[in-house]
Amino acid sequence: MKLNRTTPLLILLTVLLAGCSGAAQPESASRELFAMDTLMSLQISGPDGQEALDAAVTELQRLDALLDRNEPDSDLSRLNAAAGSGTPVALEEATLDVLEEALLCSADSGGAFDCTIAPVMDAWGFGGSGDNYRVPGDEELAALLPLVDSSALLVDRDAGTAQLTQAHMEVDLGGIAKGYAADSLTALLAEYEVSGALLDLGSSTMAALGERPGGGAWRIALRDPADAEQRLGVLSLQDQSLSTSGSYERYFTQDGVTYHHILDPETGYPAETGILSVTVVGENAALADAWSTALFVLGEDKALELWKSRDDFDYILCCFDGRVLVTEGLEDCFAFEGDAYGYTCEILRR
Amino acid sequence: MATPVRSSGAEGLRPTPGDLVLILLVAAAAVALLFALRPHGGTEALTVRVTVDGETVAEYALADYTEAVQVAVDGVSWPLVLELSADGVRVAESDCPGGDCLRTDAIHSAGEQIICLPNKLIVSLEGASNAPASDIDAVAG
Repeated sequence: MKLNRTTPLLILLTVLLAGCSGAAQPESASRELFAMDTLMSLQISGPDGQEALDAAVTELQRLDALLDRNEPDSDLSRLNAAAGSGTPVALEEATLDVLEEALLCSADSGGAFDCTIAPVMDAWGFGGSGDNYRVPGDEELAALLPLVDSSALLVDRDAGTAQLTQAHMEVDLGGIAKGYAADSLTALLAEYEVSGALLDLGSSTMAALGERPGGGAWRIALRDPADAEQRLGVLSLQDQSLSTSGSYERYFTQDGVTYHHILDPETGYPAETGILSVTVVGENAALADAWSTALFVLGEDKALELWKSRDDFDYILCCFDGRVLVTEGLEDCFAFEGDAYGYTCEILRR
Repeated sequence: MATPVRSSGAEGLRPTPGDLVLILLVAAAAVALLFALRPHGGTEALTVRVTVDGETVAEYALADYTEAVQVAVDGVSWPLVLELSADGVRVAESDCPGGDCLRTDAIHSAGEQIICLPNKLIVSLEGASNAPASDIDAVAG
């Protein structure tokens, strides 16, 4: 049988049809685990996928053990237990890192994010496992608010210690620890041959690294805060992190009034700023985590002001009145779909 | 009538019967390869997998439950009861703090899950196509 010019076409046909099968997907390893009081899902692709996944799980469990204030032997519990004693507490480097980042975010947000809000969270029942929700009285909150004071948290990097200078103060890192963990895992994965990874640390914090299997940016749907079955749109992210804070995440209803878990450090009450959810996107996941809380507390106008003064994050803000505000840095990577549910989209520019 | 002039190049491009056989053979092989390597799908029965802190503690084939049956989950910190039926699975009773799992709707399709954080429990529905085809990698919020 002689070969002629039809032969290359036949070879091409074979390759195309075989390519349709998806048989050439890169090696991918994935795992779900419970850590930091949430269900996490890790998906890592590349020749070192499984090895990198094992290392990532170990690192997450290590950070969880350090930063969980409900675990008596954790770094954070030891720091809190020594509040007001005048004795600095020796802490692991990772714990000191998170505390320093938390202090930085507190200062930069004018106190809208404050990791020393734990005593007020506990008064509402938001600090525990969710079976002690209650509305604290005005006097009780007024007595607790002086304990919310980041300036009384002292970190000494040279000595490797930290301390809370007032008795009964407590630190809670729930607003930044998952972001810090995402940053740590991102640094860890750089040591392995990995083509892409999606680190879903409980839906509210994610890091999208490299490319998704099959190529291209990771596609992350943003849920409609009013209905978990609907989505506001889809973000296409590559080597970026996101964090979302929403009033729907944790709440309770008493006497017909709904109280959510994002507390204003200035008043001690749930922040009511006309916002349903805030999603922050940036390269630094810890910052994104803290900023999503801070922007929710600050409200629409101050959030815009803050964004204009910095260049390290962008945000999507969903308002009660149906407006979805998107800063211009996300204009090309956010496909808005909320119009199907009555939302309108506005692009915010500097 | 003049005979059409045919160049020697045109002669070379004309497929021979052997070429036609080759085309059919290669096309058949490619299609067979496509079907052999495609992701498996179909209408396989659904299975409920129950895991506690990553360990599988129970599996149930939903086709076996023509009537709704309640089963207690072993190995959890707070007692929890599932209701299985041919249609799906839901949490019927739970003493866990918060009770979010109790408020979660029943699940009916492969790839859906019910989570109980205090118990570190995941109830997953698995089938031939474990997750519905989607262009989305994750849902944030």
